[in-house]
Amino acid sequence: MKIKVCGLKQPENIAAVAALGANYLGFICYGRSPRYIGALPVEVLAAIPASIHKTGVFVNETAQNINLLIDKYGFDTVQLHGDESPEFSNAFRNKVTVIKAFGVDNEFDFGQLENYANNVDYFMFDTKTSGYGGSGKTFNWDILNNYRLNVPFFLSGGISLDNLDEVKKISHPQFYAVDLNSRFETEPGIKNTDKLEQAFDIIKNKTLQMKYGVNEHGYYGDFGGAYIPEMLYPNVEELRQQYINIINDADFKAEFDDLMKNYVGRPSPLYHAKRYSEKYGANIFFKREDLNHTGSHKINNAIGQILLAKRLGKKRIIAETGAGQHGVATATVCALMGIECVVYMGEIDMARQAPNVSRMKMLGATVMPASSGSKTLKDATNEALRDWIANPVDTHYIIGSVVGPYPYPDMVARFQSIISKETKKQLVEHTGKELPEYVLACVGGGSNAMGMFYHFLDDEQVKLVAVEAAGKGVDSGHSAATTFLGQEGVLHGSRTILMQTPDGQVIEPYSISAGLDYPGIGPQHAHLYKINRAQYVSVTDDEAMQAGLLCSQMEGIIPAIESSHALAQLEKMKFNPSDNVVICLSGRGDKDLDTFIKYFGY
Amino acid sequence: MNRLNQLFVSKKDNLLSIYYTAGYPALNTTVDIAEALEKAGVDFLEVGFPYSDPVADGPTIQHSSEQALENGMTLNVLFEELAELRKRVTIPILLMGYFNPIVQYGIEKFCKKAAELGVDGIIVPDLPMYEYEALYSAHFINNNLSNIFLVTPQTSEARIRKIDALSNSFIYLLSSSSITGGSLQLTNNIEDYYKRVKAMELKNPTIIGFGISDRATFTKACEYANGAIVGSKFVKLLGEEDYMGKIPGFVESIRS
Repeated sequence: MKIKVCGLKQPENIAAVAALGANYLGFICYGRSPRYIGALPVEVLAAIPASIHKTGVFVNETAQNINLLIDKYGFDTVQLHGDESPEFSNAFRNKVTVIKAFGVDNEFDFGQLENYANNVDYFMFDTKTSGYGGSGKTFNWDILNNYRLNVPFFLSGGISLDNLDEVKKISHPQFYAVDLNSRFETEPGIKNTDKLEQAFDIIKNKTLQMKYGVNEHGYYGDFGGAYIPEMLYPNVEELRQQYINIINDADFKAEFDDLMKNYVGRPSPLYHAKRYSEKYGANIFFKREDLNHTGSHKINNAIGQILLAKRLGKKRIIAETGAGQHGVATATVCALMGIECVVYMGEIDMARQAPNVSRMKMLGATVMPASSGSKTLKDATNEALRDWIANPVDTHYIIGSVVGPYPYPDMVARFQSIISKETKKQLVEHTGKELPEYVLACVGGGSNAMGMFYHFLDDEQVKLVAVEAAGKGVDSGHSAATTFLGQEGVLHGSRTILMQTPDGQVIEPYSISAGLDYPGIGPQHAHLYKINRAQYVSVTDDEAMQAGLLCSQMEGIIPAIESSHALAQLEKMKFNPSDNVVICLSGRGDKDLDTFIKYFGY
Repeated sequence: MNRLNQLFVSKKDNLLSIYYTAGYPALNTTVDIAEALEKAGVDFLEVGFPYSDPVADGPTIQHSSEQALENGMTLNVLFEELAELRKRVTIPILLMGYFNPIVQYGIEKFCKKAAELGVDGIIVPDLPMYEYEALYSAHFINNNLSNIFLVTPQTSEARIRKIDALSNSFIYLLSSSSITGGSLQLTNNIEDYYKRVKAMELKNPTIIGFGISDRATFTKACEYANGAIVGSKFVKLLGEEDYMGKIPGFVESIRS
């Protein structure tokens, strides 16, 4: 669902609203409206990012004046809000998009729209008033069921935070956008950005729910759910009931944003890798999550969950870790908040990621070796779950990826979605538009990929590429290419795709990268894979190691071996020179120096 | 009415159930152990099918599961053994295990096969109420298989009522919120919980499990419920020499 904010007139307020990322901004060119733009300087509109449609709103204005103002302000859309005829409306379509607005009440005759159907691009249905819009009231939306033409429409009139839930229930196939105006104002023409941001979150969440997001029972299509023993039910249910309210709370947001900026160092740069761009024949951008405090994207989720745990009154944190990045991030935020921290880590991983074990200990965490099963990430997860069963009341389990029982996959995705949220804004600065042609990320459980994909999911033209670890080759018996080798099943509390024997026993995966060495993927990834919204590919140890070396020597960035998998995929793709390609550089390679040294013999 | 329902009609107190892992300590021991337990007077059996990632189990049952998988136990092998079992054993039998092996086998096919072989009920710790009710319950009901739900000290009264409504054999009360193999410490809180559940006068019988390991814990549990289940303690015995010879004495030590 697209969002239009209408009735802006004050320069600073316009800039602030534009920064929120609406799809359309509306400027009222009708002198009798309290939101009339008057002599608004043209530079104010020129500064609005090109990704936002600038809409001039007119009421029974002459064609000559409309054309003058289109040229003056650079409107790419006009909204005709008076009694304009089909022919009059059509006349502007050679240079702008045309929205024709109608006031609707219970007696509204949708038949009158037929003559407009081939003459405008969109309709707008607003509440009928004696004047021309601006009532601040809603009309009876049930009447939209009588609208049967195939011209998409904007819904306008009295939409507010109080009735957005109702708006979300409108399932008309031509429902294209909402028009937000008077109910989001401090005074006529001045918008309240806090309220608008809340509305954007609610609306965008709905967009995700409609297509790729989670439903109320925690499912993404066939995948997800909460397959947990009753012993874990109260813990998970408490989270399920609270997480949305808590993370939408203004205090929570303020604290999260502050820590993201001042502690983590966000926004992380979107770096235009020029030598890579030349080599691969496209505009290659690195989203630099490796520059975050603690060296990877894992801190985004750890901060979000520790703030949540605090609000749930938890006194003790547990976590699992594979490569140690999530363990370090969790130990870090626990130190920050003064909360006890226990990290479970497979015995084998403890040996191959020794520096991170030391870091966690130095940060004051207790590192518990998982010595059951295969002694790696999946067993660390089992041990953490067992701990949580035994400590249901005072302990919060910070899961590090978009895996586990609902609400974890959704909650972690939301915390990581800051990656794509920032990327969209940064792309506008770099390229003048917020959508790239390709987005690439590596996938173990899939948290950096989910964060990198999140705000692009609904932009179907953006090709999403998830890179799994093929290990020594997908047919070698030493691989972690889950979508290639796995079948549907249940792992760690969710229905997903996992590597398993014909008897349903979980197979231990292999990758040179400890962070991708997981036998499943998050349920949302399983869904995106099954419905082909994202492409899942795999890259071998050797290809990843070479890519890590190449990035070090061409861009001066030593990437984590996990992120090197995403970089390696570039070798296999063909681009047009104008393509914009974003790769999530999820972590830095310091922790992998030992592995790089052994592999290359430096 | 299956064998379980008949049992609860005919006997209301001090019911003793024993859990053990199929394929442990060796393949082809399932039927012999079942027969020995029936002869020793056990009222019903829980046969575990092993899983690589048993999150609700402590070290003893984790170990037995790993060993059973190494020995080659699978659902197909277990079903072959069960075909023999009903020729020699008449007491009710439950299968207990995790959901993923069942998904791989095929949920509908699993229920059908289990019922055909004389299984009376299924305990799947990681198949919770919503998923069971919304997605899979028809397969259980169509095959006259009971699905047994777990209840913990943290389970709310409303949820226990819902579980009671969905159950048709018994409700499995966990002695505490823990994994298997712990030792039961009877605190006031736990006793309050037993009393609270008892006072609800549920339509289904209740059986207490987790941490029941000797006569004292068994007797205590039976004050509040219709019976109790011994698991890890028995699995430990199966790791000893001459475990078959020790089974009658073991059962005697819990309930004479």
